[in-house]
Amino acid sequence: MNPIFFPLAALIGAAISGLPAPAFASAGHDYPFGEPGKPASATRTIEVNLADNYYEPDAISVKAGETVRFVLKNSGEFLHEFSIDTLAEHAEHRKEMVEMMEMGMLTPTGIDPEKMKMDHSKMDMSGMDHSKMDMGDTKKSKDMPMRHDDPNTVMLAPGETRGMVWKFTKAMEIEFACNMPGHYESGMLGRIDFAK
Amino acid sequence: MRKYWFGLATLFTLITLITGSGVFAATYDLTIDEMRAGYNRGQRLTMAINGQIPGPTLRFTEGEDVTINVTNKMDTDTSLHWHGILLPFTQDGVPGISFSGIKPGETFTYNFKIKQAGTYWYHSHSGLQEQEGMYGPIIITPAKREPYKYDRDYVVMLSDWSDEKAEAILGHLKKNSDYYNYAQRTAGTFFKDVSENGLAATLKDRAAWGQMRMTPTDISDVSGYTFLINGKSAEQNWTGLFKPGERVRLRLINGSAMSYFDVRIPGLKMTVVQADGNNVQPVLVDELRIAVAETYDVIVQPEEEKPFTIFAESLDRTGYARATLAPKAGMSGEIPALRPRPQLSMADMGMEMGGMDMAGMEHGAAAGADKAGREEKTSMPGMDHGAMAGMEGMDHSAMPGMDMAAMDMPGMQSGIAPKAAKPGGKVLVYGDLKAMRPYAQYRAPDREIEMKLTGNMQRYFWSIDGVKFSDAEPVRLKYGERVRFTFVNQTMMSHPMHLHGMWMQLDTGKKKFNPLKHVVNVPPGQTLSVDVPADAMGEWAFHCHLLLHMATGMMRKVIVEGPVAANVETGHE
Repeated sequence: MNPIFFPLAALIGAAISGLPAPAFASAGHDYPFGEPGKPASATRTIEVNLADNYYEPDAISVKAGETVRFVLKNSGEFLHEFSIDTLAEHAEHRKEMVEMMEMGMLTPTGIDPEKMKMDHSKMDMSGMDHSKMDMGDTKKSKDMPMRHDDPNTVMLAPGETRGMVWKFTKAMEIEFACNMPGHYESGMLGRIDFAK
Repeated sequence: MRKYWFGLATLFTLITLITGSGVFAATYDLTIDEMRAGYNRGQRLTMAINGQIPGPTLRFTEGEDVTINVTNKMDTDTSLHWHGILLPFTQDGVPGISFSGIKPGETFTYNFKIKQAGTYWYHSHSGLQEQEGMYGPIIITPAKREPYKYDRDYVVMLSDWSDEKAEAILGHLKKNSDYYNYAQRTAGTFFKDVSENGLAATLKDRAAWGQMRMTPTDISDVSGYTFLINGKSAEQNWTGLFKPGERVRLRLINGSAMSYFDVRIPGLKMTVVQADGNNVQPVLVDELRIAVAETYDVIVQPEEEKPFTIFAESLDRTGYARATLAPKAGMSGEIPALRPRPQLSMADMGMEMGGMDMAGMEHGAAAGADKAGREEKTSMPGMDHGAMAGMEGMDHSAMPGMDMAAMDMPGMQSGIAPKAAKPGGKVLVYGDLKAMRPYAQYRAPDREIEMKLTGNMQRYFWSIDGVKFSDAEPVRLKYGERVRFTFVNQTMMSHPMHLHGMWMQLDTGKKKFNPLKHVVNVPPGQTLSVDVPADAMGEWAFHCHLLLHMATGMMRKVIVEGPVAANVETGHE
């Protein structure tokens, strides 16, 4: 295996720009439990298999201060996500994913790069279902399509293998989860325990 | 293995023979006898399996060779049929088709290998015994890991109990088909309709219903049932425990004789993960309608430490079944009010749409009609997606008088399609069901057989193509061929059509992801198609699973025979 350790933005970033992903995506987002890690600082590798619709393993143990290199393989037939976050943030993210699905950016098996690279500030919204979008919420419409640039999240097409390096800084109740509609709800999540 | 052994030993005499590499066999003993039971005004003599209603939950494992000894202690013939299970036809348990039934005092031994996994059920296939209490759940543990995980696992088996014996119910209906139709339209509703719709429209409407020999409240033909969950009435309140944050799998099985249910758990989304025992791509819903004999597995995740009500309204709204998910025993949540009884609209019947001049259609609907081309369907705000359930696979040209565009018009919406109780809520429709795994040998059907679902309410008999089972020739399929059955429902009732021994691949336009079902609900006036890979030799029953519809003739024998066709299918990849 020759995993490519794109730090993160990869899938969407590459689709949008057509350029190699930057060495470090900086989404300007702080996480209370950790931050993107430097590959050189990683002290161990954890391989996670993303199947339809579950993870193997579905629980990991880390230490606060530890940098972990994740090697993520999507062995399933559907699009999957590996996202590290708090339960509340995951819940918010799931709402966005439902909207992206309804707008056709996401399908069960992949991302529609054409729809995904739309610049929402310039978008012609006339064809959209306004009832499904809160247009008054500019934060949402700005953040939503870019959510997968976030360094705590990797999205994998069927058959794809990707890497992610994450530094866990503080013990908190967090999970790794796939927020594709229905996946988390039916159990595609993993526990992250902080060892003392 | 260990867990399996102890789990079952309490219920059955179990002889486990380990034969290496995880393949094993087990024996289950079931006894059928009369029993006294009741929920309302005392008890009556009824029939039960192992002295309980429902019968014991049978827990099998994929790959297991099962032996089931069924002993008949009654003085009448009986049988047990394993609903949705793929097996040799001689083990299917349908008297007159698979075997000759189980005589009084005799023990019949069923033997078959379990080739599937999921939630199923079993019931008597003799006369009207099923309604007396002869039904129970089947849970089959898969050989491989399931595509979901959960912390708790409960069967939620719905059923309808009657204080009357089933034969008495049928007798009343034969004498007067409206015997149980408590909500018939009256002179009062006639004058209300006249004032709202105009006299001509009302007269025309009444004449149309009269021609069909039906009334718009005919959505179900028997009422007066007490609805049960796992054998408990709403008052007895079956309760499943959870700890907040746990995922709870609920195996919904509709073991009713005659009753559909609209099921919801206020405060919880349900993630549907299985339909009729087959895994589907998970879909989040607020509510689902479960036809007679269907099963749906859902996962819910209650986060709060409080009771949640599992609320299952009968389709005719004569009552409800209710159970509770609770952090502690003895708790009960709020019970919602019953919603109004759905009324069939003429749109449901798809009749005389072109020539209709009902007042309700003329007002404001015409503008919508001009541009209501089919390509605009998805953007029409007034569109009732629920009403479109199962329509994707339809041959629109084949539907006499059916105007798809008109379906979208205000006032012309289906009265029977399920609607969410929660504002903006999502109701499961067949179009949401996508198989988790593609069916590898998917291909176009070799031929099509149309079946008109027909009936005569006045004389109370039900039929297919106007012919009762007793007068009909069997349907003959060639082993290995792929046959499309198209059901055209020409009646005012929903019919849950059930094929024994083989899957029906419900055509929702998803091709190899079309869901596999053992029962498909065909709503009034609608048409839907299923593809059947004829992959099981022998003689099989094919019928409406409303018990009294089957008993009065809405049934066929299907014979799968040689010679073997070229394209034999083996199932999923």
